[in-house]
Amino acid sequence: MIDSGFDRRDFLKVMGWGGTAVALSGCGNTSIEDGKETVVSYVEAPDYVIPGVGVYYNSTCAQCDAGCSINGKVREGRVLKLEGNPASPINRGKTCGLGQAGVQHHYNPDRVREPLLRNGDKGETITWEKAYALIAEKLKGVKGEEIAFLSGGVSGHLKALLGNYLDSIGCKNHYVYEALAPGVVRAANKKAYGVEMPRYNINKAKVVLSFGADFLGAWVSPVHFSQQYAQFRKGVDGQRGVLIQVESKMTLTGANADRWIPVRPGTEGILALGIINALGTTSGEIAAAVKEYDKARVSKETGVPPGHIDKIAALLKLRSPSLVLVGSAAEGYAHGSQNAAAINLLNHVLGNIGKTVQAASSVPFPQLSPTKGNTAALKSLNDGLAAGKFKVVFNYAANPVFTAPGAMKFKDNLAKAGFKVAFAHYLDETALQADLVLPLDSALEDWGTQVPEYLADGAQINIQQPLMEKLHANTRGMGDILLTLIKQRRADSYKNYEDYYAYLRAAMLQNKGALGGGGLDEDAFWNETLTKGIIKMSGTTVALSGRTGASGLTVPGAVECDEQYPLQLIPGVNISLRDGRHSNQPWLQESPDPLTTIVWDSWVEIHPKKAAELGIVEGDIVEVTSRTGSIRVQAYLFPGIHPDAISIPIGQGHEALGRYAKGYGVNPFQILDAIYDKETGELAMHETRVKVSKTGQRVIVVKDESAAGAKQIREKIAGRMSTDEVDLSKEV
Amino acid sequence: MSVSNLLENWSQFRHFHPVDDKPHDPYKWAMSIDLDACSGCNACSVACYAENNLPVVGREKYAHGHVMHWMRIEHYWDEDVGEEGGREFPDQGAQFLPMMCQQCEAAPCETVCPVGATNHTADGLNSQIYNRCVGSRYCEANCPYKVRYFNWYDYPTTDNVWPAEMTQQLNPDVTVRGKGVMEKCTFCVQRLNAAKVAAKSEGRIVHDGEVQTACQQACPTSAISFGNLVDPESRVHKQWQAQQVEIDKEKQAKDMQEGGTELRGYRILENMRPYPSVMYLERVRESAV
Amino acid sequence: MHRFLHMSVLLTGLFAAAIGFAAESPQPVSMTEDSLGPLVEQPIDFPHNRHAGDADKGGMQIDCRYCHTYARRSAVAGIPPLQKCIGCHQSIESVRETPRIKKLFEYWDAKKPVPWKKVHDLPDFVRFNHERHIKRFVEQQNRPVQEACGYCHGDVKEMTVARRSKALSMGWCASCHEKDHPVTAEGGTPIGGQAYWYGFQKPAVADASSGALKAKGPNDCWQCHK
Repeated sequence: MIDSGFDRRDFLKVMGWGGTAVALSGCGNTSIEDGKETVVSYVEAPDYVIPGVGVYYNSTCAQCDAGCSINGKVREGRVLKLEGNPASPINRGKTCGLGQAGVQHHYNPDRVREPLLRNGDKGETITWEKAYALIAEKLKGVKGEEIAFLSGGVSGHLKALLGNYLDSIGCKNHYVYEALAPGVVRAANKKAYGVEMPRYNINKAKVVLSFGADFLGAWVSPVHFSQQYAQFRKGVDGQRGVLIQVESKMTLTGANADRWIPVRPGTEGILALGIINALGTTSGEIAAAVKEYDKARVSKETGVPPGHIDKIAALLKLRSPSLVLVGSAAEGYAHGSQNAAAINLLNHVLGNIGKTVQAASSVPFPQLSPTKGNTAALKSLNDGLAAGKFKVVFNYAANPVFTAPGAMKFKDNLAKAGFKVAFAHYLDETALQADLVLPLDSALEDWGTQVPEYLADGAQINIQQPLMEKLHANTRGMGDILLTLIKQRRADSYKNYEDYYAYLRAAMLQNKGALGGGGLDEDAFWNETLTKGIIKMSGTTVALSGRTGASGLTVPGAVECDEQYPLQLIPGVNISLRDGRHSNQPWLQESPDPLTTIVWDSWVEIHPKKAAELGIVEGDIVEVTSRTGSIRVQAYLFPGIHPDAISIPIGQGHEALGRYAKGYGVNPFQILDAIYDKETGELAMHETRVKVSKTGQRVIVVKDESAAGAKQIREKIAGRMSTDEVDLSKEV
Repeated sequence: MSVSNLLENWSQFRHFHPVDDKPHDPYKWAMSIDLDACSGCNACSVACYAENNLPVVGREKYAHGHVMHWMRIEHYWDEDVGEEGGREFPDQGAQFLPMMCQQCEAAPCETVCPVGATNHTADGLNSQIYNRCVGSRYCEANCPYKVRYFNWYDYPTTDNVWPAEMTQQLNPDVTVRGKGVMEKCTFCVQRLNAAKVAAKSEGRIVHDGEVQTACQQACPTSAISFGNLVDPESRVHKQWQAQQVEIDKEKQAKDMQEGGTELRGYRILENMRPYPSVMYLERVRESAV
Repeated sequence: MHRFLHMSVLLTGLFAAAIGFAAESPQPVSMTEDSLGPLVEQPIDFPHNRHAGDADKGGMQIDCRYCHTYARRSAVAGIPPLQKCIGCHQSIESVRETPRIKKLFEYWDAKKPVPWKKVHDLPDFVRFNHERHIKRFVEQQNRPVQEACGYCHGDVKEMTVARRSKALSMGWCASCHEKDHPVTAEGGTPIGGQAYWYGFQKPAVADASSGALKAKGPNDCWQCHK
């Protein structure tokens, strides 16, 4: 401190800093805020409502139609988290990602909150009274055949009420449409087993041979099948189950297979017949039918090495019972019904009927049984719209402007309809075309019953009850809307029901005995029903019957190559986005696709060999062109696809549906050709042929995996043990 | 006072756990994940987002690597798939690995925090105290599993992360983190605390199965097992025992046998000696097909 | 040179602050400038003194837990639902027309909750559990309710609306957790290593005279920080 130019003033300054430091430490050591936040207390609260402790209510998940039962945690009047209801045989307390995201469907900022009437390009808010009056007015004098009602699959009391309403207005055109529906599988099952959806006991099988059925991902009832799969892996008699997946594009289930077998697109039926041939256990009609399908021929047509066919046949013979599933991949073709017939035949030949393919339960109340959606309905509707047949069109739980193949020109045809009403949660592409949009209560705010298509352990009716008060004052439950509408025509029959809740309660109480509440008084039964969340009923089992022969069984050969459009487009079904209805739920957009880990975007999966041929690397923006149209999408090199095929996931490419969906990715539906299965009229989703060309642009793919491209490089952290190396006997 | 506490317990805060004369008692939370059951469906990841107020960062920030998934599913092909001279197709499927904070007993992250925001709890968890964190990110750099996530932005005030109404979904038992704070999987400590409180009020400890983490509760294949490792009745304890994996060893006795082991249980990056509390059961593939 | 001097003085100041913190204080810092919270105006000027106060001061000596029922079974003590107030006041004719009661019934008739302002508002990153504290001090150690509640909330029976009168800072809470408390379960026996569970790595200390086990409160960060 000699001659530093440090003077008295500086000294005081520095002391000040030091002093401040001391002073600061001496006070302000509390972050307590008083009087800033408000405590909103209850006015009247039941005993079981304790602030700070969650109350759990059972309801039914509506994110897909599997009908899993959910248990919602409600704190201080709002639902926070959804869990599975342990009492339901379908999901037994488990949920999938979609189920978890159900709260984002409910709290979504882009929900429609008011009835909207079209005025040019805009939607103006009107009152419900005006909306109902407008509907009555538009229906006046309109004949029944000029009215169309488009909906997704419906079941339970809503189906009954809807049926009654359509009856009251004379409408016979109820189109039940699901963009992704196992329509061909249902028809084929009906022929082969006598029922559309038998019970598949994956957990009782020693081998599951799945022809494209993505039962762990998005097929039918994934949560239920996943649980069965876990048991299947633990094994029947201590022997671990073996999964073989046959498909052209790897699905989530395929990624979990012990053996994934890529086949030339459309040749799954040929492979099935080849396996029957290789089994060598059949005689008579079936043996004659498969005689031509020897290993050499089958191998040539499907691309599956003969050695594989032998191994599969050997395993199926050795380990019984097995289970053969036919799924979406097999039915995406114009000969899909024939594929499915051949594949279902395998179950008969292997003797699985009655063991792993079992009788389904029937619901004792057929009026509540699900009316299942399919894609053939869309074609009928489209034809009617094109002909200008409809003066009034209603739309509920379907988004065909987004999911209809571009070749159908659905949007243009819809414009020909007179007055269009959409019952919607969000302004999706179809609602944007409507003249009147009526806002719905979310699935977590509404009452209802639901009967799933795939019943697990006997018949059940799922109860849907509100998990909290309505978020938006002016939305209405679909049941309430239908009740108001039906009262326009049949006021007397429904005058005792002031709302849908009353209707539902009365309907359930009327059948109290059959629903298992015989000994209870009305209130007790109702409360118990709501508490449990499901009603298990003793339904009769519909025995399996069906043709076991092979008469008339033909499977066409592999398609010749189309020079102009050399590749087959397989629209991929992503576990989170499904048909695109959940693209506005940000958790699902941010949830990486399990196979590519790509988020918030679309991609086209190209086999590395094919990509090398075309000179495409990851991130290249390529143009995918079909006869119908073309889209541009980033390329992703994916070894889990047949080189003759490419795959673009559906669900992205929204032009509406809110901030989390709009503008992300591309919609492959736009370029799908309108090709249908010959027998059922279902849309053959994989029949569109395309060509791929580079645009010269390249982007960095936004994905979760590293640039190392899903390889572990040096240190192996996730490996595999072979069954002959591992000892599973002492496991817990 | 807090500094003296820190100094006095320095060895416990920064030490390899459990410390010899103070074993984990009565709780040591651990997990066991069966990779043969894991189907890679991502339900656990979404459940974690729901339970722990995780922000959705959106596409642009995801591209920058700022995603916040505490539980992530890693997806791997075999090394030779798609390579020169290798297999053309991944004909034995893929590997899925759920990865989250391994709650290491000798956590590399605990020793490097300049302000002591991450410590070891008495029941065997690696704690992360948000209001203490100053955002040096040294812990993230040190983590061998890269399971720590940094809040590069103030997500509560960022557009479209939690727009109105979506804020009602937030879990009040979990802090909503602001900018500059590190976060990671907590084994759903809020659920553990609630369960411990309930049990304590009844004068007992938490039974096996009474508390579940969000990921465990959602998993459709029940691949995740979670519980108290020092409770001999718990499933997790039995699994670790059956697999002959001991938490305080970096090389398990079974692996040192000639010819390796027929047991599936292993821990990731065990040789780096963080002593993780998560055991994985290796995936199995059928040899007959 | 210059810079060195600045730095060293600044650092000295900082160290002084740090040491000030480090000084072990066995008693909770009872009254500092932070202890007294601001007087928060409530929609209804609720008189705790009238309800909970001593009889000789005109109070009705109502137990805290009669209204704040959630304290014994939840993390939050809670404001009672409006029906709790109405439950008594619907039949108390003598005060029915007073301004505060009239206001109360306005809320009741409109079925709107009273928008009470939160006092004792801990930061969002803190987890405080009332149930454990009530169980420990009121039910197990049989302390009088007003002493137990009053330790943190002050002498509420002298107040009208509640006003914070303790620091409620981390240091204040932790200083109580630093004290040894008897650790017993139902019937008086500790369960297994439960005593240990309380103090992070601190074993229970046996009281020389009674032999009862004692331990300090939790000082594991994640017990109280979310």
